[in-house]
Amino acid sequence: MTTTKNPSRPSLPIVENFTRRAAVKGAFATLGAGAFVAAISPLRQAAKNTTAAEFMQQHYTELSPEQKADVIARLEAETKEKYGADVTIADDRPIPGTKFVYAINLSVCNGNGKCVEACHKENNHDRDTNQSYIRVIEMPKGTMDMEKGSTTYTGTVPKDDKFYLPVQCQQCDEPPCVDVCPVKATWKEEDGIVVVDYNWCIGCRYCEAACPYHARRFNWKKPEVPAEEVNPDQSYLSNRIRPVGVVEKCTYCLHRTRRGKLPACLEACPTGARVFGNILDKDSNIRWILENKRVYILKEELGTKPAFFYYFD
Amino acid sequence: MPRIANLIFAGVVCLIASMLLVAVWQSGTRANTHAAPEETPQVAQLPSEATTTHPVIIRKPSGPPRIELAGMDPQGRTGSVACSTCHAVRKPNLENVSAATLDEFHQGMTFNHGKIACYACHNPDDSDALRLADGKSVAYENVMTLCSQCHSKQAESFAHGAHGGMNGHWDLSRGPQMKNNCIDCHDPHAPSYPKMVVGFKPKDRFNAPLDDHQDHEGAESHDDH
Amino acid sequence: MSSITAPPDITEPGDNESHITSYPKFIGRSLWLATEGSLAFYAWMTMLTALFLVGANAWANQVAGGMVGTNMTDQVSWGLYIANFTFMVGLAAGGVMMVIPAYLYHDRKMHDVVIIGELLAIAAIVMCLMFVVADLGRPDRFWHMMPVIGKFNWPISMLTWDVIVLNGYLVLNLHICGYLLYMRFLGRKPNPTWYIPFVMLSIVWAISIHTVTAFLYCGLGGRPFWNTALLAPRFLASAFVSGPAFIIVSMVLIKRLTGVGGLDHPIATLTKIIRVTILINLLMVASELFTEFYTGGSHVSAAKYLFFGLHGKTALVPWTWTAIALNISAALLFLWPGLLGFRWRPLLVTACVMAFVGAWIEKGMGLIVPGFIPSTLHEIVEYVPSQLEWKVTVGIWAFGLMVFTIAIKTALPTLKHPAEH
Ligand code: SF4
Ligand code: SF4
Repeated sequence: MTTTKNPSRPSLPIVENFTRRAAVKGAFATLGAGAFVAAISPLRQAAKNTTAAEFMQQHYTELSPEQKADVIARLEAETKEKYGADVTIADDRPIPGTKFVYAINLSVCNGNGKCVEACHKENNHDRDTNQSYIRVIEMPKGTMDMEKGSTTYTGTVPKDDKFYLPVQCQQCDEPPCVDVCPVKATWKEEDGIVVVDYNWCIGCRYCEAACPYHARRFNWKKPEVPAEEVNPDQSYLSNRIRPVGVVEKCTYCLHRTRRGKLPACLEACPTGARVFGNILDKDSNIRWILENKRVYILKEELGTKPAFFYYFD
Repeated sequence: MPRIANLIFAGVVCLIASMLLVAVWQSGTRANTHAAPEETPQVAQLPSEATTTHPVIIRKPSGPPRIELAGMDPQGRTGSVACSTCHAVRKPNLENVSAATLDEFHQGMTFNHGKIACYACHNPDDSDALRLADGKSVAYENVMTLCSQCHSKQAESFAHGAHGGMNGHWDLSRGPQMKNNCIDCHDPHAPSYPKMVVGFKPKDRFNAPLDDHQDHEGAESHDDH
Repeated sequence: MSSITAPPDITEPGDNESHITSYPKFIGRSLWLATEGSLAFYAWMTMLTALFLVGANAWANQVAGGMVGTNMTDQVSWGLYIANFTFMVGLAAGGVMMVIPAYLYHDRKMHDVVIIGELLAIAAIVMCLMFVVADLGRPDRFWHMMPVIGKFNWPISMLTWDVIVLNGYLVLNLHICGYLLYMRFLGRKPNPTWYIPFVMLSIVWAISIHTVTAFLYCGLGGRPFWNTALLAPRFLASAFVSGPAFIIVSMVLIKRLTGVGGLDHPIATLTKIIRVTILINLLMVASELFTEFYTGGSHVSAAKYLFFGLHGKTALVPWTWTAIALNISAALLFLWPGLLGFRWRPLLVTACVMAFVGAWIEKGMGLIVPGFIPSTLHEIVEYVPSQLEWKVTVGIWAFGLMVFTIAIKTALPTLKHPAEH
């Protein structure tokens, strides 16, 4: 300690050798700052991937139509530049008077995983990880306890003593994932689909912790899709190629379903176990199922009110 | 200092109370969102009112089966013949219920469809058509009518989209829907749905350990620190 | 990110100098003072800087390459960062265990050194915020979380509450410490109306930060391991172990290194506090475990995994039993009355370190991680932090210790010559 006491202000010692020490300290401070800049230099790489326009972009619900058009044009150009693919990104809005509901016939589902693959391709998931929004659990007959199930089964299906439970986003009517998001980056639209604004999400993964159905996926790295495999038919809120560091989820293929088409997983299902439709339409298939089959929902006790039903027949 | 302690206690109580309020408000908004769909029945009718301009197309078999000829005729032509080519001159065996007793052409075929006889479905009077239980003839194209006699539950489900695969549109005002028919998926002679092999699995990091993520720093760190 | 925001200039201008000129002087002098020291001090700071730089570099790599460099997965989507965050919130709240005796029970000797607890709170909150940022997939979008310019999902999202209470607590403590030190610099007697209300508020606030942090987890119905009403009280109890334990160790060190006197009485008080809180914490853990295991059912699977492993996966078992061994032996040591004897100072420090590490494991690897295992679809995906995560974590700890060291150095004159008030 090189400090001495000043009698007039006992609390504040006066320092000797002020200038020399100041110079040394300044040198060390500069050195430290320089080292810090060097240490965080990888950030420059990351900054290159984020344009100012993207950084400043407003929340989806606050974009004017012109801004939206600009954003979409920018995203299309970026996809061309980074993935070499020509894509069209639409902005599909809910069809008035629709509320989408899904149902799966577990007596029929044989766990072959074609839906998992269809989702992977349709939604431009990372090729490396075989990412998909659907996970199929192989369950022993006679229980509903997921703890006894396995998602890693392989080989010939169906096995005699098993049934198969595909799980994807249940588009809950009371979605815990939406409640917890600190920045309103995820919300429920009028047709019941819970969407994420990939350009607003900050990647805190709170929603991933809150979802009781393991429906959300985080982009741990930049998704890689070869140009010729990119599905060019895209939508802003669904299957456009997601940026790194944000959360994504099943959107009931809104880029298809909001144009009247069936979801990709349904079309791919060879067993016909999947049923999709508008529950507000009294004559719809889905309505008939809810009225005539004994349906159940997953984890009913949590009060999430899924728009996704299961039944046996 | 008990007064200050009281104040602090009151502060904590207030905090908890305000969070409770939020929780109540929260459940209030939930109740609202839940009620919303019920308030809009008029809108709900929109899709059904809209004229369903597009059809539901059920794929049909192309017609009665044809038997490809094994060899070529002396002129070098290949061709196929109808069932009736042979069956016109054979007496139907109405009793036969199993593949084991079949000889000649149908020898070795698999049959696993309950205890029904061949002529429960095939038409003894017209071998290029099928027949219903009441003896009425039905064309091969309409095989679903035949199946539905016994499998009415499945037929009902099929009619409501709850059985059988489909493609196309859920919204018929925007486009058609294509549906499979029974024999697209079920072999009528052995109708149980075939086994399949799982072809595609997500590769979780835990499923494909270590070697899958050597490319980043986490790889070396699986030992405890 | 730790920029010492100037406490609001709230006192009347001084007799001879206006605050406009004296305040910068105060900051400059404090900084100067804080960077003065022995060789050991410089060595310590250099080491912390080096560690911090390693962490900063690792974090920059994480941002540039994506979070694939961590060992988190979609199944275990929070790991070491959030575990540390939770623990640091507790440490920040734990500082209040000095404030309560000092201000509510008028413990004079505690009052003289209470600033240590407040400075610890500042350093801990700074670390909390750094851990949250380290955990974000898109730190560049941090501004989305700011009220007004971003979109703040308040009051529904518990995370927004946490942002508010943490920053509020930071500002409160910065104000209290800044004001006291500034008055000291001016050679004036602090005016109680300018800080006592804030101190009282900070007591409530300290409890709120940890309660809200517990609500982050216990409000999630899909995670049975967290979904218990006991979580917030448990958090508080363990915070009141780890906070005082850290302070005791720092006070023993301060006494050794700087010769500040009058620390023995506060050390004794804090030891007595830990003696109670550590038992309360153990009691709560025990009743939690009783409920889990006696009831059985699917709720118990996370606890089973934590303690015994599930389906042959046992990554967390060594952590858990280490924590239990540490906590129980620390509790026994604290129960021994002789621990307060001067001869036994090293043992006291050991007991504190044990309690501290025990609480760290219990709240981090023992609470955040098992909440995700088994996953909501009952997959068992194990989690062991990656090297990158360790680097970032160590970097943030180094930075926090740096802040704490500098803060304590700034306050040393006050500690050495407590003003009479
Ligand atoms: S299933 Fe999960 S992600 Fe989907 S709405 Fe429900 S809580 Fe949200
Ligand atoms: S990860 Fe994104 S969508 Fe999920 S809670 Fe955080 S900000 Fe919201």
